[in-house]
Amino acid sequence: MECMSLLGFGACAPDAEFRASLPFPAFDINRQTIPPLLRRRSSQAMQLAFSAAAAACEHAQRSPATLPSIFASVAGEIKTTDLLCTELVKPEGVMSPSAFHNSVQNTAAAYWSIAQLCTQPASALAAGSDTFAMALLEVWCQLACQGGELLLVCYDEPWPEYLDPGCGESAFGCALVLAAGMVEGSIMQLGRPQTGAPTLPPAWAALIAKMPILAAMPLLERAARAENHPQVVSVSPAWQVEVSG
Amino acid sequence: MTIPQIPPVSVTAYQCVSAAGDDVEALYSSLIDNRSCLKLLQLFDIPFETVVGEVTSPLPEIRPSLKAYDCRNARLALKALSQGGFRAEVERAIARYGAARVGLILGTSTSGIYDSENAYARLRQDGVMPGDFHFLQVQTAQATAEFLRLELGLHGPCYAISTACSSSAKALAAAQRLIATDCCDAVLVAGVDSLCRLTLRGFNSLQLISPQACRPMDAERQGINIGEGAALLLLEKQSSDNAGRPRLLAVGESSDAHHMSAPHPDGVGAATAMAQALRLAGRQVGEVDYINLHATASTLNDLSEARAVVSLFPNPPPCSGVKGLLGHTLGAAGAVETVVSLLALERGFLPGTCGLKRPDPECLFPVVAAPNLEFSPRLILSNAFGFGGNNASVLLEAA
Repeated sequence: MECMSLLGFGACAPDAEFRASLPFPAFDINRQTIPPLLRRRSSQAMQLAFSAAAAACEHAQRSPATLPSIFASVAGEIKTTDLLCTELVKPEGVMSPSAFHNSVQNTAAAYWSIAQLCTQPASALAAGSDTFAMALLEVWCQLACQGGELLLVCYDEPWPEYLDPGCGESAFGCALVLAAGMVEGSIMQLGRPQTGAPTLPPAWAALIAKMPILAAMPLLERAARAENHPQVVSVSPAWQVEVSG
Repeated sequence: MTIPQIPPVSVTAYQCVSAAGDDVEALYSSLIDNRSCLKLLQLFDIPFETVVGEVTSPLPEIRPSLKAYDCRNARLALKALSQGGFRAEVERAIARYGAARVGLILGTSTSGIYDSENAYARLRQDGVMPGDFHFLQVQTAQATAEFLRLELGLHGPCYAISTACSSSAKALAAAQRLIATDCCDAVLVAGVDSLCRLTLRGFNSLQLISPQACRPMDAERQGINIGEGAALLLLEKQSSDNAGRPRLLAVGESSDAHHMSAPHPDGVGAATAMAQALRLAGRQVGEVDYINLHATASTLNDLSEARAVVSLFPNPPPCSGVKGLLGHTLGAAGAVETVVSLLALERGFLPGTCGLKRPDPECLFPVVAAPNLEFSPRLILSNAFGFGGNNASVLLEAA
């Protein structure tokens, strides 16, 4: 495979001030993207993932029911997991069965497949500060091996300050619909992710250090800009990708 | 759409630490003896009755420079790495291909959460987390992947797949793709999960835990037992040097799109995953000699898988499941049971189904109760199905 093509994208940031500071269009959580029966118990992580995923599919004009998916997140369902860990150490701690099965890393991926009646494979991935880069690499590998199109969703809800002082803000989700090879009319083409040092404005580097999933920022910024000269953009502190078109 | 086939990769080394013991030899002995390794939990107290597949032998220390990653999960992985010359095999791959060409994919469900729970106990008591607790290096899904990468000096791609109980089966799929796309020449796949309060009490809250040793596919089954383990597999691109090694042909993947904690009752997604593995490898159902079942001993799971097997195979091959021996090792199960399947391929036997006395009458295919030493399978499917209906089926072939 020579390249993959970006067909559509969406970004979600619930904090209005943070949203306004982003160098690409983003929107607030859209709870309408979550089926009513799921809405009440949905985590912020799931709301971010669903909002971004639905927007990307709409932008790409693709049906979510047909797309294999990769859901990438540094901390997954961290608020639910935190709640369970807090309960577990109480003498009379209560273990909620639904909180337990909603604490797995693939919660958003699973509910997305259920809500969209999508029987295509769904994966859930984590790689610390390389999460966005490794998710792009996994997309590359799936598209190169199997062809077709797929949905990549990257998201993280904030995690409690006591778990990781100075890290875990702000909530953010983004999604990309990508296709194997060169697709006419696509937003841009991406090469295979490669290792390489980051080239980031200091303000962005500071944001990404606080919330590793924001490593998607340079790529989203480039996607939102209508330019066609080739450019290398950082997708993590250790990985980069060449984009064109 | 026709899915293109994927080239096989060689499995040049594998190792496993489990309740059966510290290495594959101990695992092989338990499989041949069909002896349950499930015992009362020693690691911590739980407020209900069950048995578990616990690793009770001492775990190695994490070296001082990697102390931030210290947790039971990392120690289990390090222990497996030290067994039977496995580390030397990884070092040989690094020397041969270069550290940047060797990747690492971890499959785990709860990572180092056992150690997080201990930190939360301190938080409750002292009002602050212990100073030596490192969230990103212990609790997040990638923590033990990053530990192994640093421990071994690998510089290739490194990430974790965390799709509950299909995690490490899907890690094998991701690793095979990294080699097929020439991103890597070799990939270390690790399936690691450790016992913790979260999963034990969580599965208990779902009323899925059996008080006694579990009995997969048995009419009298009462639920599951939780286990822990670390299974490591070294995958390499095929070459004349590794032609004598067994092969990973393909991993089929699918989603049930049905329910968060219950499989599709007819096993539609499970059947799709098995069929997809065969299609990706260009093989036919009639070629499969043995199926290593997911068979957790939960009634819904067992019957869903049984229907999947019957729907796909006009004449099902012998099938069995090993969770009565080892417990359900959750995110590690896909890799642990791939190791079981590789032992069956290489040493020529069919594992039994420890605990099986009277197969569920709804289970309409031959379930192997006692190990069969007279049968040498050549093509094996090994199933791993997770929460959210996340399915993977691993297809392996003898050399």
